[in-house]
Amino acid sequence: MGMNTAEPASCFVRKQRAFLLSDDSELRDMLLSMWSREWIEFTVFDRGRGAIEYLFNDPPDLLVVDNRLPDISGAEIANLVKSENVYRQLPVVLVLDHDDMGEPWDWGSVEVDDFLVRPFSDSEARDRINLSLCRATRAMDANPLTKLPGNTSIIQKIQSLIDKEQDFALAYCDLDYFKSFNDKYGFSRGDEILMMTARVIVNTIKSFGGKGNFVGHVGGDDYVFIMSPDDVEQACQRIISTFDAIVPNFYDSSDRKLGKIVSTDRQGTVREFPIMAVSIAVVFNIDGRLEHFGEASAIAMSLKKKAKENPKSCYVLDRRS
Amino acid sequence: MEDLKTSVKGQVLAIQDLPTLPGVLDEVTKLVENPETSTEEIANVIAKDQVLSAKVLKMVNSPIYGFPGRISSIQHGLVLLGFNVIRGIIISTSVFDMMVQAMQGLWEHSVGVATASNILARRAGFDDPEEYAVAGLLHDLGKVVTAVQLPELHETILNTAKTKNLSYYKAEKHVLGFAHDRINAWLARHWHLPGNIREAMSRHHSPHMAELYKSTACVVHLGDFMVRLFEFGNSGDDQTAYLRPEAMKELGFKMSDLERCMDELADQLLDVSDMGF
Repeated sequence: MGMNTAEPASCFVRKQRAFLLSDDSELRDMLLSMWSREWIEFTVFDRGRGAIEYLFNDPPDLLVVDNRLPDISGAEIANLVKSENVYRQLPVVLVLDHDDMGEPWDWGSVEVDDFLVRPFSDSEARDRINLSLCRATRAMDANPLTKLPGNTSIIQKIQSLIDKEQDFALAYCDLDYFKSFNDKYGFSRGDEILMMTARVIVNTIKSFGGKGNFVGHVGGDDYVFIMSPDDVEQACQRIISTFDAIVPNFYDSSDRKLGKIVSTDRQGTVREFPIMAVSIAVVFNIDGRLEHFGEASAIAMSLKKKAKENPKSCYVLDRRS
Repeated sequence: MEDLKTSVKGQVLAIQDLPTLPGVLDEVTKLVENPETSTEEIANVIAKDQVLSAKVLKMVNSPIYGFPGRISSIQHGLVLLGFNVIRGIIISTSVFDMMVQAMQGLWEHSVGVATASNILARRAGFDDPEEYAVAGLLHDLGKVVTAVQLPELHETILNTAKTKNLSYYKAEKHVLGFAHDRINAWLARHWHLPGNIREAMSRHHSPHMAELYKSTACVVHLGDFMVRLFEFGNSGDDQTAYLRPEAMKELGFKMSDLERCMDELADQLLDVSDMGF
């Protein structure tokens, strides 16, 4: 068989760890021969019960589970994993027999991500598993509101650019007075702001073309974008002018006319908050200056403090070289 | 009558493909094919076309984007949708293969009212006159939708206006029992358009009844009146325009204010008529 010379799927940013729960040696031999151990390392368990503790203590990147395990059904294991929010994102591939396919499965109650059916087709099994892993890296980390890549992808992206010693500008954006908006108007109105901000950043960055551009959503009102150092200042200016023009539409017209929110806190003190603004801090990696993701974020955080001193929208560029 | 209303409402809201006139569509197609084009340039062209403008606002205000009813500016809409989505809208829009001539009159009328609404809003000292222009542009969209979705009823309305010497509005009431202001209200709500645009669409014949955005309804009412006085374009009849005094009062206008706006509109309509649909 020996397909393990094949190139790994491009979304494998690092070696993937997989658990196979099956006592079927044919299945085991097939899967183990398909990828080099450099790309997917399988740990095989021939019983289900014993594997559960391992799964929970040190969850792999992929779980392949045979529905014909001697001690517990594969579907049961799958549900055990999927019912816990901590493990939910772990992709599970269920291995079935042709006879299992007589009646339609209720995939709402068996929450797996894909399945394989005996007799296997090698190439189909290979691609279903590759796809499951890719799909999981896409879905796992996406911000649930904006669907932008989240923290894990952001860190991986930055670190891989640093490792390649590629020049880039890394911008951290957040909103001033978002919390007071949320407090006054409620979370769903706050979510409207977050969706709008994501669109403004994404479309502005896209409008510069450029292949390596990237936008991520760290969470809450924190966003990140990566682009060419040459264009980044203009991008900041465009994001700010667009955001400032659009955001008043999200306030009630009375507050918009006032140009601020007036609210009373729990102590009965009346407080005023300006219309939201966007602050952007930009760090440059030029000629391999940065070595680690942590440096980039530390510089950005100190710059952001500076940007925050200004209540209006503004950007600060890291001019150190 | 109730049955007719239900079936008309169903037909109106079922509209899938709203065609436009070839002139603006060609122009904007050329713009989106050029990667150097700015969204501002595209916005300026789309703002002359009630159908393309309606499509942009419908899309950006759809719940998928997460902020329904918030965006009433074409420029903002385009920035938030992004170039790919704009291109998608343009590519999927078809043109009228019939009724082109009748529609040209309605297109001129709607751009005229957009222009007039902008002038009036500035004269009244309102913020964001562009949004009043958008409201003016879309105020008769229900007539376009009726023509597309219910061509036979539309024909009957036009004939009724002619033979009975009625305004299009009265002819609609005669034939349907309700008029395009009602159809506009259905569309605006179904498409999650912002309140100011919705109110102008549904209250430009009765601005005194407007609830939340009276100023927009009054501006568009006056804009409609002015454009009809100039007999610029055609909105479906040759009747004289009527003016609600409440609209003047809402804007704090004297007759002299209206005259100044009329003068300014006369100048600007010359440019508008050069556009050619």
